[in-house]
Amino acid sequence: MTVRDVAKLLEAEVLSGEDKLDIEVKHGGAADMMSDILALCGPNQLVLTGYIHPQVIRTALVTELLGLVFVRCKNIPPETIKMARQHNILMLQTRLFMFSSCGILYAAGLRGVDER
Amino acid sequence: MSDRNDLSKYAGLFEDIRAADIMTANVTVIPPEKKISHAKEMMNIKRISGLPVVDETRHLIGIVTVEDIIHALEFNRLGEPIRNMMTRDVITVGVNDRLTDIVSKFQAYRFGRFPVVDADNVLRGIISRKDILNGVLEKFNLIYVHDQKRISTLNSEFSFITGERLTVGDAEFHYNIDTTDIGSAGVGAVMLKTFLADKRYPAEIIRRIGVAVYEAETNVIIHSRGTGDIYCFLQGDLIMVRVVDNGIGIEDMDMAMKEGYSTAPDYVRELGFGAGMGIPNIKRFVDKLVILSEKNVGTQVEMILYLPIEASAPATPGTLTKN
Repeated sequence: MTVRDVAKLLEAEVLSGEDKLDIEVKHGGAADMMSDILALCGPNQLVLTGYIHPQVIRTALVTELLGLVFVRCKNIPPETIKMARQHNILMLQTRLFMFSSCGILYAAGLRGVDER
Repeated sequence: MSDRNDLSKYAGLFEDIRAADIMTANVTVIPPEKKISHAKEMMNIKRISGLPVVDETRHLIGIVTVEDIIHALEFNRLGEPIRNMMTRDVITVGVNDRLTDIVSKFQAYRFGRFPVVDADNVLRGIISRKDILNGVLEKFNLIYVHDQKRISTLNSEFSFITGERLTVGDAEFHYNIDTTDIGSAGVGAVMLKTFLADKRYPAEIIRRIGVAVYEAETNVIIHSRGTGDIYCFLQGDLIMVRVVDNGIGIEDMDMAMKEGYSTAPDYVRELGFGAGMGIPNIKRFVDKLVILSEKNVGTQVEMILYLPIEASAPATPGTLTKN
């Protein structure tokens, strides 16, 4: 599916990286710990997270993720959004919870990073 | 409190211990022109209850404590410079003060720690009850066996892995880690990635280095309580990165290597770290790893990644000049 499909399925708002909406995404993960993202996720993957500190953007940058989906619509700090835009990291925000978001995307065909 | 009595009872046995022997030399300090809110942030991040205030030449001019912060909060003065709110009459300990004098100071005042200054009032360290206890225990050789050889190898110019001479001045990449700003964790790793990308190293190697250095850099910021540096040496068929700090060292290396073991306090977990994956993650992404650590001297993480054979000589001017 494309990033646009992901956004539609999760009724998500695109906060950064609008130019990446047509990119095909096959694998995703979900984590709140930076070390888990660093250890397990990689290029062209989408990571769902509830962690909104700007540090997550730097983690995405180091790991070369395709982008991040922020679940449960928290008050994302403006610095996080600013840093994502600065580095053109795709950033979606959904009001759905982590579990539902993962389930919806999995049912629609997105696979886990352990299923590559 | 009973521990005070215990301290004075045993103090006489350790007449020859001076403040300089037991103090913590790496002190987090703050300049007077920074805002109170900044001090609050730093105390929160470093989980400390007092910050010595020093001028450009490290002369001690005051101290800002939790009480000062509470006071500032109460009167809505967090935006003011520290010099307006700090405590100016600081009770200090001299570097050459004897243990008995230091213990009496702890008894006379209710403070948890005292800044240690030299004859010119320049800040040299900080001393807490814990430092006294550790100093005394060290004297007994109970908790730590001092190993002079480890100190000398820690600052050696040779690579532990390849045995080659490495002068930090010759490093092709250097980044000084800002340990006062936890938000800066990863900046060095991102800069190193950009540097290696410019030199056209293979993307997969760059990614692995990025993750490993990010973890090492974060460790320096969260745990070292010192200052740190990242150096990268490019040596033909390999890339070597050294992340060094002059902080408190790793107490239990075996545990630090275990996945899931962490000494990180809750606030670090709130920042998305502290899962006990730092060193295991570094190990996972590099080909060779040596970690050397000495209590109160520092930690040195040396990692090597070998380039795939066809990529061992990136076709960019500049990278081959050293060979």
